[in-house]
Amino acid sequence: MASQYIALPKGVSEKNFDAAIRDFRKVLGETSVLTSAEQLAPYIKTMMPVPDSDHTPSAALLATTVEQIQKIVAICNQYKVPIWMISTGKNLGYGSAAPAERGQVVLDLKRMNRILEVDKDLAFALVEPGVTYQQLYDYIKEHKLGLWLSMPAPSAIAGPVGNTLDRGVGYTPYGEHFLFACGMEVVLANGEVLRTGMGSMPNSNTWQVFKWGYGPYLDGIFTQSNYGIVTKFGFWLMPEPPAFKPFVIQYQHEEDIVEIVETIRPLRISGVIPNAVVIAHALYEAPVKAKRSDYVSGPGSIPDEAVYRIMKDHKLGIWNVYAALYGTQEQIDVNWKIVTQAFGQSGKAKILTEQEAADDPAFAYRAKLMRGEMTLTEFSLYNWRGGGGSMWFAPVSQARGSETLKQMALTKQILAKYGLDYSGEFIVGMRDMHHIVDVLYDKTDPEQTKAAYQCFDELLTEFSARGYGTYRVNTAFMDKVAETYGPVQRKVHKTLKKALDPNGIIAPGKSGIR
Amino acid sequence: MKKAKLVNCIFDCLVAIIFTISNAWSTQNEKNNPGFAWKDGAEIYAKICAYCHEAHVGPQIRNRELPAAYIRTIVRNGNRAMPAFRPSEIDDESLTKLADFISNKKAQH
Repeated sequence: MASQYIALPKGVSEKNFDAAIRDFRKVLGETSVLTSAEQLAPYIKTMMPVPDSDHTPSAALLATTVEQIQKIVAICNQYKVPIWMISTGKNLGYGSAAPAERGQVVLDLKRMNRILEVDKDLAFALVEPGVTYQQLYDYIKEHKLGLWLSMPAPSAIAGPVGNTLDRGVGYTPYGEHFLFACGMEVVLANGEVLRTGMGSMPNSNTWQVFKWGYGPYLDGIFTQSNYGIVTKFGFWLMPEPPAFKPFVIQYQHEEDIVEIVETIRPLRISGVIPNAVVIAHALYEAPVKAKRSDYVSGPGSIPDEAVYRIMKDHKLGIWNVYAALYGTQEQIDVNWKIVTQAFGQSGKAKILTEQEAADDPAFAYRAKLMRGEMTLTEFSLYNWRGGGGSMWFAPVSQARGSETLKQMALTKQILAKYGLDYSGEFIVGMRDMHHIVDVLYDKTDPEQTKAAYQCFDELLTEFSARGYGTYRVNTAFMDKVAETYGPVQRKVHKTLKKALDPNGIIAPGKSGIR
Repeated sequence: MKKAKLVNCIFDCLVAIIFTISNAWSTQNEKNNPGFAWKDGAEIYAKICAYCHEAHVGPQIRNRELPAAYIRTIVRNGNRAMPAFRPSEIDDESLTKLADFISNKKAQH
């Protein structure tokens, strides 16, 4: 007899799953437990080059309260049913809203969407997992709180909880998001509710202002992990500065990345440039202004000659350094002088401000990101190859010019082998650079999809062989990346997992942990 | 093996006890906050769709008399690079309003 479910959790009989679903419905009501193919369709689509059937959920649970989640984990423990948590479900290019493994039940926390507190004076927020950046942005505007958000490029439809828990980044001075996290509430697999840091103390009013509490710092083990379900999350917000000056510095040759990084590092470490700077390759910015098909046709990666034509036609550098100054006008004037002197020395840099570039669509969306305003313009990247295929390749580099050049050259070489383009950028760091490459491919083309998978696998293999670790990865490659960090770390992760979740019900497979 | 089973059994018992104990923290200041709900189709369009469909990222979809049923299907399933949107993000009632807003010329300016 055919199953009434579109998938089943690994090792769980249909009879037991029936019983679990029945109990979930007792907790959540009929309409908040989804099991039909039509209801689950939005949880299946991913941008990864693997069959969607590999990541098809068996059900989705729409919880709204901590008490419901406590009851859900009890049912999961009883029937050994694994759950996969999502908040806004917009981890595009990293797995979207689909679970890591076929048959896992998605615990969808999007309806836990309350902004619990925003403190204007202390500049912090406490929110539930389903709150989007757009929702928080509107709340801050409506209440005239004078605070800025830092968010990733999918801004409006993503949210601070999911992004920070996956250790995502933004573009303001608060761009390394987990650095600015302060206090979590976590439902553990045994149903207990932990508040981290100062939140563990009854009547404490310092949960969102002091990170460390007493004893071992725990927040980190609930990021990129499956040790608990985060139901409340505190983080710091940036007071709106009196003045803001975005700018872009363009360079014409790929080797110039060495000069860029060597020039920018001391400015970042000293705080002259305070924000998470982006050094974007021409092919990362081109989709905002140009169509790939206007410059190249047929298979293979785009030739350098075509890239130079795009640069010329659309006023792009091969590298485009987006940064900003924040503060009083006097502070900005002083720091602007330091920046222009530093970048002016070699004569290679072209420096543009809002005066020259305000109407440029690439500059305009980058400026919005650097002041925490909503924009989804970076999604133009998806039009470059079309077909909805995207994976973020995200190795970490030292903020040292020679290293960034090596990483760029190696990435480009491997992508070209598979006929794919280098759509890359370096972002964030003072001492590090997140090297972020969108591996774009046409998912409707089986050959290109196969090539993209093999390419990504080779990128991970070759980078880890050289000691370059990946900071974040999509759900199809989590085990492979976990392996690159060696057996001792994996064993510690597993030991913690066994202690906190002995039945393995919370997101098995996340970061390769089971 | 036996030890592992015993540990799991103890853990399961603990789970049963703990979730029946009410958590004093989770009820404070939260019952009066109903959370977010969409006002109308225009708001959803402005806060989600317009960022791509009015910004040269996705195609224009207004004033094309696209059937409401087609819009609902694309929103729920996604289409190539366009992500799918779940009922937890845009509930069925709000999706109907959104589809009407996009497909009905009179609703637009």
